[in-house]
Amino acid sequence: MTAVAPLPDPPPRRQIWSLGGGKGGIGKSLLTASLGWQLARMGKRVVLVDADLGGANLHTCLGLPAPALTMGDFIRRRVETIEEVAQETGCPGLRLISGASDVLSAANIKHQQKVRVLNRIRALDVDIVLIDLGAGTSFNILDFFLISDVGMLAVVPEPTSIENSYRFIKSALYRRLRELAQTQDVRDIVESALDQKNPWGIRTPLDLLGVVEREAPGQSDALKEAIASFHPRFVVNQARGPADIAIGHQLVTACMRHLGIRATYAGFIDYDDTVWQCVRQRRLFMSAFPHCRAAEKVSKLARALLQNDGLALPR
Amino acid sequence: MDLRTHYDVLGVEPAASPEQLDRAYRFCLDLYGEGSLATYSLLDPEEMREARTRVEQAYCVLRDPAKRRVYDEEQGFQRAPQIPTSPADPASGAVLLTEPVTGAALRRFREQKGIGLREISLRSKVGVRYLEYIEQERHALLPPPVYLRGFLQEYASALGLEPRRTADAYMALLPPAQA
Repeated sequence: MTAVAPLPDPPPRRQIWSLGGGKGGIGKSLLTASLGWQLARMGKRVVLVDADLGGANLHTCLGLPAPALTMGDFIRRRVETIEEVAQETGCPGLRLISGASDVLSAANIKHQQKVRVLNRIRALDVDIVLIDLGAGTSFNILDFFLISDVGMLAVVPEPTSIENSYRFIKSALYRRLRELAQTQDVRDIVESALDQKNPWGIRTPLDLLGVVEREAPGQSDALKEAIASFHPRFVVNQARGPADIAIGHQLVTACMRHLGIRATYAGFIDYDDTVWQCVRQRRLFMSAFPHCRAAEKVSKLARALLQNDGLALPR
Repeated sequence: MDLRTHYDVLGVEPAASPEQLDRAYRFCLDLYGEGSLATYSLLDPEEMREARTRVEQAYCVLRDPAKRRVYDEEQGFQRAPQIPTSPADPASGAVLLTEPVTGAALRRFREQKGIGLREISLRSKVGVRYLEYIEQERHALLPPPVYLRGFLQEYASALGLEPRRTADAYMALLPPAQA
């Protein structure tokens, strides 16, 4: 009888998490920095990636000076490996790949360069890569979001932020659907869907699916599957009371009912004066005031995300 | 999304308790209310009005036990049998379970009322962990009788059960070491 050597345990899979939201100034970078810090404190090996390539300032959120090497150096091949631009942050287990500081060239990286960056990020030897996506819905941002295992959307309880987050969700989903389209006709339908005045009258992914079912029935199953596997997670930032906290639940229900998208409510962070006082002093509130309300909610959020859990509507 | 039944409209199960229906109704009013942040950019004013009307219609039928019974029969929904209780205190409206007061019976009654442990914990200031131990009858982990009696009374009154007699009945079923 031949002895069969037991297979070695597969290495734990590295996860890519990203945080976007469309609107600027709603605390995405600070939330990314805090979440990364908390995950590192929980024993995870984390690399933060500042993909806000045009307006990178994740280092400032962590209380660090502008780094000597950035993603831009990797993109322009001034360094060999992406590891070389990952700098220590002073928090054990947490490193940072800073965004490029020169605006134009980096924010508009070419497709080939983007593929190289995405591949190297995927190959980093860490537990979690956490990407700060920056504002907007440019293709670069959407692509980072779409390769993520956990795609988060930060919203603040304000109309503009919520409008932008819906736009972000639709843009990301339609970009994925466009990749799956097998014919130019269907690609055209998907592309037109983001235009409010499109000739098909498409307003939501559900409408889009209806049109594709009618025009190209053979392709609708793949799109349906892609919509079903698209799970954005909301994080409500700067919540000032129960009504603000409830918005996360409302967004999840509205996404399901009116967009046909299964989102989850990952958690919320209280509005907390301590946070902006720390921002002004360029200190991370997580380390300066680890017991403030916002810090407690960040650690709750980290736990929920690690357990693939979300806030459930009380039933 | 196809919101076929009144239950779908309110986003609850057909077995939902009156308390769950009330909560779901309030949630939907906020969701489709004037100036709702979550829906104003997804629905036009006409669709918003329509959504509100459907919520009102659904709630009108389901909150009325007689109308709900007729509706359930029409739709072929079967209601779970209610856990029997007897009135215990006419002044407060508190009731008593007529079956033995075990952890499992308490949990079934709580679920029928649609009340979560977290909610009871917030009201009673008893930790969720202890409430779970009570329902699971994990005797070794329950606190000493003097505290346990207090916890049970808080738990019972949060559910509308008569506190003192419910606590006595639960403790009477414990193994001698705890009681």
